[in-house]
Amino acid sequence: MKLPLLYIPAIKRILLVSFIVFAFLPLVQMTLISFMATLPTPTTEVGTFTLSNYAGIWTNPNLRSAFINSIAYVLINILITVPVAIPAAYAFSRMSFIGDKHLFLAFIAFRITPPVVLTLPIFQLFSSLGIVNSVFGIGLAHCLFNLPISIWILQGFISVIPKEMDETAFLDGYSRPRFIWKFLMPQIASGIAVTAFFCFMFSWVEVVFARILTTTNGKPISMAINALFGFQTDIGLVMAVTVASVLPGAALLFAMRNHLSRGFKIGRV
Amino acid sequence: MKNRDNTGWIFVLPATFVLGLIGLIPLITVVNYSFFEIFILDARFWVGTDWYTEIIGSGRFWASFGRSTLFAALVLAIQIPLGIAVALCIPREKFWVGITLAIIALPLLVPWNMIPSLWLSLLNPDTGILGRLLPQVGWPADWKLSVVHTWLVIIAMDVWHWTSLVVILCYSALTTIPAAHYQAAAIDSAGPWQVFRFIQLPKLYHVLLMAILLRFMDSFMIYTEAFPINAGGPNGATMFLAVDLGEEIKAFNYGPSAARSVIYFLIVLTVAWTFSKAQGHLDREDTT
Repeated sequence: MKLPLLYIPAIKRILLVSFIVFAFLPLVQMTLISFMATLPTPTTEVGTFTLSNYAGIWTNPNLRSAFINSIAYVLINILITVPVAIPAAYAFSRMSFIGDKHLFLAFIAFRITPPVVLTLPIFQLFSSLGIVNSVFGIGLAHCLFNLPISIWILQGFISVIPKEMDETAFLDGYSRPRFIWKFLMPQIASGIAVTAFFCFMFSWVEVVFARILTTTNGKPISMAINALFGFQTDIGLVMAVTVASVLPGAALLFAMRNHLSRGFKIGRV
Repeated sequence: MKNRDNTGWIFVLPATFVLGLIGLIPLITVVNYSFFEIFILDARFWVGTDWYTEIIGSGRFWASFGRSTLFAALVLAIQIPLGIAVALCIPREKFWVGITLAIIALPLLVPWNMIPSLWLSLLNPDTGILGRLLPQVGWPADWKLSVVHTWLVIIAMDVWHWTSLVVILCYSALTTIPAAHYQAAAIDSAGPWQVFRFIQLPKLYHVLLMAILLRFMDSFMIYTEAFPINAGGPNGATMFLAVDLGEEIKAFNYGPSAARSVIYFLIVLTVAWTFSKAQGHLDREDTT
């Protein structure tokens, strides 16, 4: 019985490496095609190595503006979500009020509501508010799933801070809002960064709201890629845009790598 | 314990306002539409619960419901154990932890509408990596005609896309276990299975509950990724609940699509309620 224990580190290593290989397969495929000529042109043959797909991103004004739109709506989303989520997370983790459990349940229910259920009325509501075809509309709509998740993540970070800190501050005459601003926020700074990152992650890749809210203007990357599909799809260009769309996230992911796993410790009211 | 007064409401008010605007108001609109026959939005006729009885009474709805349930069950059965296993395999050295997690999380960053394209090009018999390898082991060239193979592709795609999230959640819960617990286990000469069963797994319960909730609901209502793989085929074998609703909305059937939305939201509420019950159960076990 002792012998198999020796193999455990090796088994762990093999499992991890095969999972990473599996995770990489589609990404490798995507990168390979992005460097390949996929439509015949006078100068290049199909299947040969080329950089023209990446050059194509730069020369296509729709794609360039799509990148800017994506960055804009994600930033707007983070700027709405985080300031709204911090006090709510504080209340859920520190205070007890009538209906707190039910409210948390309602928030979670909105997170797991599939966007397609609300597409039609959100489109109508937003067009009557005059925020369709704008990055603001998408940024706001994405709060539907990012806000509950942010509250949950931040709550985990706030819960590990000892309650004595609050009480000392109150004895010193700080009000709750001032305490949150002056003491709590610096303590949970990495939590705020993790929250912002997850907002970015879930918002950047979402397509259902992004599609219905941008019929003429403000198209994000995902929709700009969709527009590339047609009678003769240049799949090389499509893959190049996809690679480019993953890069900003990958850079952020790498910068955040040591904080990533710190977000989801508790997860309850 | 927590302070019991209602000032907490002031702090959750902004969040309640935002979610009320983009969640509750649209929801009420949908409930309202679901009782009407609507040709254009200005002309509508009260039809009562006709749409509901029509949907609930149709075999098509229950077939989609069954398919979505089966899909979500398979996804959970694969992703949750796999996620736990990979989280346990992440190296101990601080330098490698971050890098491993960052690499594992990469699939989460691909725009959802591109995920089917990635997998289709991976399976392309001429240029795809898997498309050239798999026929050697008996993968049919006309896999799109086979129900089993189409399901396999969609499940593999979802496992690829979302297992990372389960890994990150589980790993973050594992890091909260104090080293003293492992030392105590070593003194009692506990085997790896006992360490997992009695030290690691209990720490995972809360996070696993959240992971199961998120993964269940998102796979049960899979929409963007599932349809393009095989257009819901062969013969509608991969038409899931959310895909049905999407088709109805595209056809501008306001009334029926609203009724369908309400039914789906009731499913969501049931799931969320079950989740909060399970959470309450876990909390009570913690305190006793």
